[in-house]
This record gives sequence, structure tokens and C-alpha cells, in this order.
Amino acid sequence: MKLSDKVAAEINSIKSRYQDPRSCLLPSLYVVQKADGWIAPEAMAAVGELLNVPGATVKGVATFYSMFRHKPMGRHLIQLCTNVACLVMGAEELVDILKGKYGLEPNGTSPDGRFSLVIMECIGACGTAPAMLVDTDFHENLNEKNIIDTLENYK
Amino acid sequence: MEKYLLRNIENPNSADINEYVKAGGYKALAKAMDMKPADIIEQVKKSGLRGRGGAGFPTGMKWAFAAADPKMPKYLLCNADEGEPGTFKDRPLLEKNPHLLIEGMIISGHALRAKYGYIYLRGEYPQAKDILEAAIKQAYEKKFLGDNILGRGVKFDLCVHQGAGAYICGEETALIESLEGRRGQPRIKPPFPVNEGFLAKPTVVNNVETFSNVPYVLEIGPEEYSKIGSSDCPGPKLFSVSGHVKKPGVYELPMGTTLRDIIYTHCGGVTGDKKLKAVIPGGISTPVLPADKLDCPMDFVNMPKHGSMLGSGAVMVFDETVDLPKVCLRAIKFFEHESCGKCTPCREGIGWMRSILGRICGGTGNAGDIDLLLEVSKNVMGKTFCPLGDGAATVVQNFIKNFRNEFEAHINNKVRAER
Amino acid sequence: MITVTINGKQIKLEKPVSILEAAKMTGIKIPTLCHHKSLEAYGGCRLCLVEIEKMPRLQASCTQYVTDGMVVWTETGRVVEARKAMLEFLLINHALDCPYCDKAGECDLQDLVMKYGPAAGRFTEGKRKHPESYDDPIIVRNMERCISCTRCVRMCSKVQGASAISMVNRTSKTFVEPFSGGRYNCEYCGNCINVCPVGAIMSRLHKHTYRPWFIEKTVDTVCSFCGVGCSVTAQIRGNSIVRIIPESEKGLNRGLLCNRGRFGYDYISNSGRLKSPMIRKNGSLQETTWSEAFMYIAQKIKEIKEKNGGAAIAGVASGRCTNEDNYVFQKFMRLVVGSNNIDSIAGFAYAPARKFFEKIFGQGVTANPIQGISRSDGIFVIGGDPTAINPVLGLQIRAASQKDIPVATVGYAPGLKGFAANRLIPKPSTEAALLAALLTEMLKRKPLPAEKTPFEEIIGKIQPVSLNEAESACGIASGEISACVDSLSGMTNPALVIGRDIIQRSEGQANLLLLAALAQALNGRIYLSSELPNEQGLIDMGCLPDMLPGGRPVAVDSFRKRYGEFFNAEVPSAQGLSLMEMVEGAHSGNIKALYVMGENIAFNIPDNKFVKDALSRLELLVVQDIFTTETTRFAHVVLPAASWAEREGSYTNLEGRMQHLKKAIDSVAGLEDWKIIAEVSKVLGVDMNYRDSRDILAEIAKVSPLHKGVTYEDMDSGECMWPYKGEPLRHDLNIVGIDMPDMKALLKKPEKDKVYIGVDKVLFHSASLSRNSFALNSIYSEPHAKIGKNLAAKLSVASGDHISISTGAGAIELAAVIDSDMPDNIVLVPNNFEGRGAFRVMGWKMNAAFKAPALDGMEAVLKKLERVSAEVSE
Ligand SMILES: Cc1cc2nc3c(=O)[nH]c(=O)nc-3n(C[C@H](O)[C@H](O)[C@H](O)COP(=O)(O)O)c2cc1C
Ligand code: SF4
Ligand code: SF4
Ligand code: SF4
Ligand code: SF4
Ligand code: FES
Ligand code: FES
Repeated sequence: MKLSDKVAAEINSIKSRYQDPRSCLLPSLYVVQKADGWIAPEAMAAVGELLNVPGATVKGVATFYSMFRHKPMGRHLIQLCTNVACLVMGAEELVDILKGKYGLEPNGTSPDGRFSLVIMECIGACGTAPAMLVDTDFHENLNEKNIIDTLENYK
Repeated sequence: MEKYLLRNIENPNSADINEYVKAGGYKALAKAMDMKPADIIEQVKKSGLRGRGGAGFPTGMKWAFAAADPKMPKYLLCNADEGEPGTFKDRPLLEKNPHLLIEGMIISGHALRAKYGYIYLRGEYPQAKDILEAAIKQAYEKKFLGDNILGRGVKFDLCVHQGAGAYICGEETALIESLEGRRGQPRIKPPFPVNEGFLAKPTVVNNVETFSNVPYVLEIGPEEYSKIGSSDCPGPKLFSVSGHVKKPGVYELPMGTTLRDIIYTHCGGVTGDKKLKAVIPGGISTPVLPADKLDCPMDFVNMPKHGSMLGSGAVMVFDETVDLPKVCLRAIKFFEHESCGKCTPCREGIGWMRSILGRICGGTGNAGDIDLLLEVSKNVMGKTFCPLGDGAATVVQNFIKNFRNEFEAHINNKVRAER
Repeated sequence: MITVTINGKQIKLEKPVSILEAAKMTGIKIPTLCHHKSLEAYGGCRLCLVEIEKMPRLQASCTQYVTDGMVVWTETGRVVEARKAMLEFLLINHALDCPYCDKAGECDLQDLVMKYGPAAGRFTEGKRKHPESYDDPIIVRNMERCISCTRCVRMCSKVQGASAISMVNRTSKTFVEPFSGGRYNCEYCGNCINVCPVGAIMSRLHKHTYRPWFIEKTVDTVCSFCGVGCSVTAQIRGNSIVRIIPESEKGLNRGLLCNRGRFGYDYISNSGRLKSPMIRKNGSLQETTWSEAFMYIAQKIKEIKEKNGGAAIAGVASGRCTNEDNYVFQKFMRLVVGSNNIDSIAGFAYAPARKFFEKIFGQGVTANPIQGISRSDGIFVIGGDPTAINPVLGLQIRAASQKDIPVATVGYAPGLKGFAANRLIPKPSTEAALLAALLTEMLKRKPLPAEKTPFEEIIGKIQPVSLNEAESACGIASGEISACVDSLSGMTNPALVIGRDIIQRSEGQANLLLLAALAQALNGRIYLSSELPNEQGLIDMGCLPDMLPGGRPVAVDSFRKRYGEFFNAEVPSAQGLSLMEMVEGAHSGNIKALYVMGENIAFNIPDNKFVKDALSRLELLVVQDIFTTETTRFAHVVLPAASWAEREGSYTNLEGRMQHLKKAIDSVAGLEDWKIIAEVSKVLGVDMNYRDSRDILAEIAKVSPLHKGVTYEDMDSGECMWPYKGEPLRHDLNIVGIDMPDMKALLKKPEKDKVYIGVDKVLFHSASLSRNSFALNSIYSEPHAKIGKNLAAKLSVASGDHISISTGAGAIELAAVIDSDMPDNIVLVPNNFEGRGAFRVMGWKMNAAFKAPALDGMEAVLKKLERVSAEVSE
């Protein structure tokens, strides 16, 4: 697979920030993920080619980090924290609600392809727990009602 | 106490460079540019500033080690990976006061003769990324960054590098591996980063809050600074308070404020005035304390004497309704998920502890399970490659030590943990 | 001085080492799993934890260095407990299937659990599930057994330099995977398998065919494939080799092998092996007895010799045969047949290059230890990809590069991509212009001394070539050339690794002269790539038309006389024919009989059709081989030989190291090549009287001035290096017979739109022998034509599409593979597969200086084929 010209150009521009092209690996994977929603094996190979990093090595790196996605995602990604502070403030109930309302299982995608759900470790919103990220937006102080209201804004 | 780290953050435009400058920002930088690098290091040493990332290492000493290494170039890395559950104190600094961090890093860069700096920002803070990048751009425009800072011929380049969801990358050598585009697994020490860090060059890694203290040290001078809070680890400290308190949030208080003061004076006490059952004082890796152990000064020196640690200063408060074995299980799941997989005891031992805890909380625990759990934790403790594994063992040991009865109740009554 | 006490024993050390190493020095063994002596410390398994006084925590002895006054205990209760705990942890996700696992019996984990381990693990929940992967033809991956020690990954990336595998995921979900997740598509060196402490990655070829305790004997011998000469250990059961592993202590390969050496040996048990002598009767080869075959050959040779003289008979020796075979062969040709017509494939490139450099610098100048490559301060590679031709030598270059030693490559060397900072890929046949420019620039930076040696005088006369002239000739930007010069001029004692592509050319001699001059200017050491295990031995044994055993010229009366006197015989004085001249002679009718020992000349010499034509005109063609080949099909007599594993002898590798080849198994049917020759000789009235190869070596040790008193025991000691125990010829400083290259001619550009065909050296094959290896065929079963991306675009060809390649000599059809790294106007085809080798369509010109075929890029016409046609018309 060839990376789109736009993706390739963005990766090449990132290169200048680093003394060593290998350092661009994580940023480059982000560029791909932003464009495609996930990182296909072919994209890993292409990124490796661009940065002179062997494909297997790229795969090893990409699979180490939990925020890189290795299958296509729904239109919106819900990253819901269930770590301790969120847990004691009711995060588990929210998981049930997402399942009931959207048919969403952790690591799954709703049947209509609208949402994907990923359970997160602490996302740094413990003071306003429970909390989630939808795409790149924080939503905090969630409860059984406002979580649905919030998500309904994401079509 | 007057706020320094969080001053001005109520201003909705606090992240804008003009607002920051208006409030007195970048004055310390101007001062630093008139100082010799070695003198800056000396002042930081004198101030008694200790790293805010969790370990409390004296910052000036770390800098002196790196400065003494003749290898060039040197690198300055900001640890903005804030991954310790319960911790959210760096987030307001990053999102609301980015110029304080940037100013701190430029000064530090000058002190170390480092020409390149990277902010390793956790992937979970996408907004902070945009804010920081905008702030860095402004700083370049104002010539606070770049090839000729304030016309003094000093060069310092800074950019944000986004992590991608790996708690272990908060550990400084794993952070460096990650920045080099590798799997974020800790390195063998020695060599330490101050001698062979990023790209095998001398590298200083400091926490966001640590760098944010640096301008303050220069502004008020090391003597004044060292008078704030605890005498052997002075300065202002950010505490993230979460869980069952009336006013959770990030508090800037003098180092050494007691846990009781934090919970009852500053945060208004337990939500609904329920009874307090337990507190994790410094982030999930630090030993949990029972309700009767709140009179401990929160600093690096005193907390160990009271059976816990300051860690990242993340206070998690649990009221009487909380099922602590369940909290313990969730914490262990976290460590299991974040184990980098490098060393045997952490990789395999934590999963084993999780499965025992799982059966206890699931109501199918056996009589010997608590002792087995303790033994597994003992076999992990002190044998792992890095402190992450120890953190997991600490959690298990201290929850059982302080709340064994709750675990026994699950086993004896065969009760499943409630939802 | 550092003093440490380990278990009460005190040791003093000059420099700090790891506790593990220090303990080893005192004879204390600390158990380890993730540690491996060829790899850097890792510190992951935590098995090697020890107690150190004054340190509260146990420390990993593989990563912790000793300090002065340190007191270490390796077997305290705490340590033993911890060890047991680590083993118990490892068993959590380790499938306990020892009875089924091939590794049982040589598994580190099994051994450690037996010794220290928990009686039974207390982990009761389900283990990680991970079905065994059979997606690869060579490597079976069983990740339920993986203990995440990363030894394989570190081996593959840091030592092999292939980075074909990685740990994927984290936590206890981590495991090893090649990029595809299934098939490895890697270099198949198997070095990862070798370092896996458990049965997580294993050779599929050996699956369930053996268990370590079935091994009846092991034989330390030498690899049969290339001129590196890796030491291997053959593990034997019954009369068959069940596995080849690297010999890890003595060999120059230090525990490494390449795919050919590790897996390719299975050709010896191929059912197609020749089993009986055959004589052509009524146009077809028919089985016969040995004695009838010997009689027939002797009779024919006698007739031809009487009628046409010994000079009408010629012999082809083999770089796959031992020194002993080749020695006996040349003796037979010279003293029994009475002809100096002896040569081999080594005469095409290896021998002329070696002779050329020796003329300038003295005998033995290319005999440099391979291990020295990674210790040099720069490497210059030209004329072929050493990682494919001499893979384990190639690893030295990769290792050097990983230590930041600069590497420059000239020409297409895909295996060094990512390792060479300077990669210059000139247009076909324009290397001379590039070399001349490199030399010109080098001499500007480091001028020759005022007081010149004779060779420096010659260098002084070489016409300078400017960067711009070179750029316009070879198509490489002058900036790139001068960047390469920058890098070269920083080197004080670099290694120059030279392959045959640059030698087998019309301008071969000019290339060698420029390289010699460069070597002089750089103070470099020369390494000659060698595709066969015993090319050097061919030269040393006198299998050259102009050279006697011991590197003595036939032309010098005293040497000839001395050699003849040993046997009361006379060595013919007329210089013999080179291999290519023999073929021409056969074609023209001057050569009536050809005796071929272990070489497939109808396939391995360019323009197969011409060679076959020539062979068909012979009155007598005798071929000794282990397989039916393109050549045996033209033979009058075919004699089955013993394979490499079935005989004793010696090989001399490219660095001039004699190594002892040992008999591992009994021959199925064939005889040692020397024995066959000796039998024919006997029928011809000259009884050679050798009982075994030892007798031959003893004779060599007497007659060859280079091999004075050499024995197998000398070789077994691992240090039988050039000049063995003898004396090289004294070097004549007056260098005569070197033509000055005509720079004008060398600067002419190749025609723009033409496409040339060249030979692709495939890592997985070795001339025509390896096609009989099941293992190597399972990795690489089909020849491909490699082309660059622009050429592919021009032809609208995608990888996998079939193309036809036609030249004046013929046409072949192959699947195309696109390599974006290749220059535009060249197509590379391997010469390994019957009917589809490059030499089928490649012609040659005689290089008068070397009397060898010059393979100047031959013009080829490429066409995309719409239909895949398997059959190829002759
Ligand atoms: C498992 C682990 C996780 C860590 N996470 C963080 C982190 O998220 N942020 C941080 O600043 N330091 C973290 N640290 C501490 C760093 O290793 C390092 O000590 C710190 O960045 C040094 O900065 P300081 O001296 O300013 O505290 C972590 C350490 C460990 C062992
Ligand atoms: S303790 Fe070991 S496995 Fe766990 S994070 Fe550290 S190095 Fe990785
Ligand atoms: S066989 Fe060799 S190249 Fe292939 S994965 Fe193993 S070590 Fe790497
Ligand atoms: S496959 Fe073998 S060598 Fe590789 S990590 Fe697993 S156990 Fe170690
Ligand atoms: S490098 Fe050569 S000698 Fe060594 S194993 Fe490979 S083919 Fe055999
Ligand atoms: S625990 Fe959920 S955001 Fe910190
Ligand atoms: S051998 Fe030391 S940790 Fe594995």
C-alpha cells in the first residue's frame, strides 16, 4: 500500500523535528491513524519504508501502545475510564448503559458503525470522575443520563 | 499560601502568552539569560527542589550530573506522561499554564546547555497537545525559543511528542526508548540518562511540575523558595484529590500539608459526610492508608515514616461504602494491563494475582487464597526489573495488611463484589 | 584492581565485568534464561538474581557489574526461593507439553525446573492459548511455549541484522512474530532457533524426526556451501544426519550459520542421488559396474592420448571437492594424462583476481581473517552482495555497521541496505569510471609519497577522472561520490570486500588495478568473495593450467622439475588451457576428451547452448557427480561420487584457513572423488596407493612448499591459516604485465534505453547443487527476474507478473519481482534452476588477460506476458 501523498508529506515534515528519523515512528503512526482511523499492516510497512525501520519492528512498536488501533473503528471512538477513581464514582454502570443503548461491548463497535468503545486506564480526570474521551474531547462528571445526552451529539 | 503554579488559571485566556507575560511571566527567563549556566544549577540545588514525578530526586543534583558529562549535545525531556492513576495535577499546568512549563524548560535548557527539548505528553491528553503546540509557537514568535533567545545567542528548540497509551513510558528510561521510536521498555541502569539517555547523549528528564517550579526558584531566589513547606523538600506542591470528597480537584499547597488538612480543610471532607474508610495518598502505586492514619505530612521524607509514600501526590479518598477488595482488583488489573512484559515476575506474577483477586471478588475464593496472594506478591516484590512490578505488589500487600477482613468476608461468605 | 568475593571465593579483576561473568571465571554457574553469550545483557528473566551484601534487593547478575569489595552469594535461601518463584511464574503461561515437545532434552527451562523448580505450579486458571503456527515452511512457532526472553529478536536484529521478527503486544500477551504474522519471509538463517532456550521456535524440517536423546553421534565438520567455511556439527542417527547446528566454540562463525549451511544439507539424502556408474551405450546412459567404467575410461584416455597427445585431454576440477580430491586430480592430469589442461570455475573470477592482487602485493595478500572485518575502521564493498554470497562474512559487515563503522557499497547490494551510509549504484558496467574518480579524489586528499614503490609509480600513471566525468558516465551525482570519498578518507585500515561481478568483465583487469590502487591509498585489506567452499584450495592444490601445488608456476623449470622428481615423472611444460579455452577447444575439435570432477559446466558456464554443443562433440566426457545434471546428460561415463558428508578431507576458505572435513555418514553409493581418479589411474598403470585421505594430505604436506607438514590435527586446532606451515613465493616487486586502462574507453556511457541482464545471487541457493535441497526449495522454489520500479512501470509489470527475457542467445520466461532499489536498466536472473538460469540467455566474450569469460551486461529485451507459460522452448 502506498501512503496518501498528504500522509507521506505530513510524515516527512515531522522528520525535521528529530535528530533521528526513528523518533518519528510514533508521530507517524498517529498521522496514519488520524487519516484512516486505524493502522493497517500495509500502512505499517509503508511507514517503515519511509523511516527506514523494518516492518516487523514497526509492528512490534505499534502493538506495544494501547492507543494504536489495529482494526477499523467506528465513526467515533469512546474511551471510557474505569480506573479506581472512576470506578468508585460509578463507571461500571456506564459500561452497562453503553451496552444497553448502543450495543457496545468493550473493544467493540456498535452494529451501526457509529461508536467504538475502548476501556481506558486513568485519563487524568479523576477529580471529575467518571470521565471519558470521545474522539479528542473530554467529558467529565458523567452519570447515567448525561452520558447519553453527550453521545447523542456525535452522529 | 499564595498560588504560584496555578496562579492566573481562572483567567480563561491563561494559556495565551500575552496574558502570561502580563502576569509577570518570562521574567525569570530574562534573569536566567544573565546568569551563567552553572549558577542556575547552583541556585536550583540550593533551593532544595525535588522532582515532582514521584521519586523526589533532588533536581539540582540530577542537573549537575548531566552538566558534568562532556558528551554533546545534551537533551532535556519533560515527563508529561502523567499516568499514575489518581493523578491529574500536570493537566492544569499543561492546559492552563503552558508557558510556565515552557519558561521552566528554556531556563533548564540554558542551565544544561541543552539545545533540544521534548515534551513527552501522554496520548490521553489530546487537548493539551494543541494548547502546548500553540503556546510553543507563540514562544518562538516572541523569540523565547529558537536560535537566538532574547537576542543572547542561546539556542533552544522545543516540541511536543505524543505518547500512545503506556503507563510504563512515565518511567524515564522507557520514556526515552519510546521517544526513540521503540517499544517503551525500561533500560538497564547504569548508564543513567544523565550520561547516556536520548540517542545515547546526556539527558535530563523532569516532571512537568518540577520544571514549572524552576522559574519560581529564580524569581524569589533559592532562600525564599526553601522556606516554603517542609524544610528538607520545600516548595509548593500540587495535590490531585479524587474520590469521595466534597470538593475534588487539584490543590496547590505547601509541601508537607497533612493528609487530614487536605481532605477536611481544603476539600471540605467526605461527600455526604459519610465515614472515611481508606485513602491512597500518592497515586495508586503508594500504600493505602486506613482512616486513622491521616495525620501525616505529605512530603517525600515524612510519608515513608507513616507507612506510605508521597508519590505523585494523588489523594484518592474512599468512603465506608467502598468494597476495597474490588478497588484492589481494579488496581491490579491496571498493573496487569500496563506491565511492559519485559521481566518475568511482573509479566506473569501480576496476572496471577489478578486471577486470585478475581476469584475472591467473584465469590469463589478459597481459604488459602489470601496467603497465596501474599506469597505471590512477595515473589514479585523486589525482583522486578523496574518499580512498576513493585507497585503492584505494594498494592496487594497493603490492601491486605490494612483490610484483610474485607477479603476474608468475600471468601467466607462467598459474596460476589457488587456492582 | 577490583576484588570481589563470590560464595566465599575471592577473585581479582582488571576491569569490571558482570557478576555473572565473574562467577563464571571462578567456576560458579548462575542459572540464566534471557542471557546469551552472543547477545547484550537484557535482564528480563530474573533467574540470575543473586544476593549482594549491603544491598537490600536481590540483583540480576547478568546486568549488575562487580565493584571493588563486593560480596556476592549465589545460592542462599533467598536466592534459591526467588529462582524457584521465577520458574513458577514462567510456567504460568508455558504449555507443559514436554512429552510432545521436540525441545525436551535440550530445553533450558526444563533443565532448570528439574533442578530448582517448583514441584508443581500453583497457578490453576487457564493458560494463554496460542495455536502452533505452521504458516512457514521452515520455522514452526509455538507461542504457548515462549518465555519472552527476546533472545531470538535480539539475535535477528542485532546479530543477523535482519530485524524480521519482533515482540508484539505487551503484558503477558506479548509474543514473537514475523511481520506477516505467519510466514517469516526472512533470511532463514535459523540463528533465532538456535538461541531460543525453549521449544517456542523450532525447525519444521526436524519436527518429530528426532529427539536429542536419539542422537547417536556428532561430527564436527565444515559447511559445504560457500567460501566462508563455517564450522558445523552434524548430529547423526543411524546413517543419516538429523540436524546441522553451528559449532559454537572453535569456528570462525562463532555459533552463527546461514540458511544454506543450516538447512541446505538435506540434498545429501535426496532420492535423486546417483547410485551406480553409467556408460553411454547406443546413445543412452546405462548402469554398469565400477570396474567396467574404469576400464572404459582408461581405454579411451589411452587411445586419445596416443592419437592426439595429452594436450587433447582436459580436466575440470571442483570448488566443492576437497583439497585431497583436487590434488589427486591435478596429479592425475599432469603426470598420468600428461596435460596441464586443468582448471575450474574458480578460474573465472576468484583465481584471476587473487593472482592479480598477489602480483602487486605478494602471495597471500587476500588471506585476511574474516573476524577482522568487524574490527576494521571502514568497509568498502563492491562486485556483489556479500550477505548473499558469503552470508556469515556479510554479518561481519552488518556488525561493523551497527558499531557505527562506516560502510560504503558500490553496486546493487540489497542485504546491506540500511547498513551502508554510502550506497553508490552505478549504471551497468560503469564501475571503472566510478573507481577511477574515487581514486583520483582519494589521491588529492592523501597524495602518494615522493619516494614511490614500483606499484605507486604505476598508480601515478593512472589517468585521473574527475567527479563530473564519473557522474556523466556512471550516473551517480558527483556530490554522492565525494561524500563517499569523505567517508573513505577517514579510514585507516579498511576492509575491501570484492565480488566476482566486477572481475568477470571485459574491463575486469582495469577494475582490479583501480581497486588495488584504492587498497594502496586506503591501506586496505582485501577480501575476495568466494561462492564455493574450496576455491582457495583449488589454487593451492594446483588446479590451474599454470600453477603447481603450493602456488608455484608451471612455467618455472625448477618448480616443475622438483615436482616431477617426487614421482619420477615429468610435468608437461606447455601451459594448459583455461576452462573457457577447454570449452572452445571442445567446440573446435582440439579437445577430444574432458574429465569433469564435480562440476556442472553445462549449466554454470554462460551460454549453455554453446557449452552443450561443445560437449556433444567430445569423444570422451567423464563426469563424476552426485546428481544427474545438465552435464551428465552429455557424458559417456557418469560416476557417482560420495557427498560432502560422506568423506574426509579438507577445505581452504577464502581467508586461507584450512579446515578438516570429517566423514559424518557412510556413502549411499558413490566413492570419494579421489578414489575414483586413483582407480582410473591404476588401470592406466600408475598406482597411487592411497589408503585414505590422510595419505594424500601427507603427500601434499611433502610436495607443496606451502603445506609443509600440515596435518588434520593442525586444522582441528582451528588455526591452520595461510601460509599454513609453509612458505609463500618471494614477492617480486617489479610488477610486469599490467596494462594501463584506457580511461577514455572506460568513460563511455551505456546506451540509454537498453536493458542488460545480470546474474542475481540468491541467498537461498548455491549454483546448481541447492536445487536438490528440499529445505532450500521450500524457501525459494522458483526463479524470479528482479527489476527496478521504473522498468516495471515502463513494462506495466507488477510483482508476480510473468515476463519474457530474450537475448541473442535465447529466451526465458519468469515471474518478475520488483525491487525499488535496483537501477533502471538491468534485469537480474539467478542461475540456479534447471532450464531457467541466467546463463541460458547470457553470452560472453573472452577476457584475454584472464582467459575467462567476460559477462558484460548483455542486452536483453523484456516483454510482459499475458499468459503464464510454464514450458520454455529451447
Ligand atoms: C512505572 C513508573 C511510572 C512513572 N510515571 C511517571 C509519570 O507519569 N510522570 C512523571 O513525571 N514521572 C513518572 N515516573 C518517574 C520518572 O521515572 C522520573 O523519575 C521522573 O520523570 C523524574 O522527574 P522528576 O525528577 O522531575 O520527578 C514514573 C516512574 C515509574 C517507575
Ligand atoms: S517490572 Fe518488568 S515487566 Fe513490569 S513494567 Fe517494569 S520492566 Fe516491564
Ligand atoms: S531465521 Fe534468521 S532472519 Fe529469520 S527470523 Fe530467525 S534470525 Fe531472523
Ligand atoms: S521464541 Fe524463544 S527465544 Fe524468542 S522470546 Fe520466545 S522463548 Fe525467547
Ligand atoms: S556462510 Fe557459507 S560457509 Fe557459512 S553456513 Fe553459509 S554457506 Fe555455509
Ligand atoms: S481514574 Fe478515571 S480519570 Fe483517573
Ligand atoms: S539472565 Fe539475568 S535476568 Fe535473565
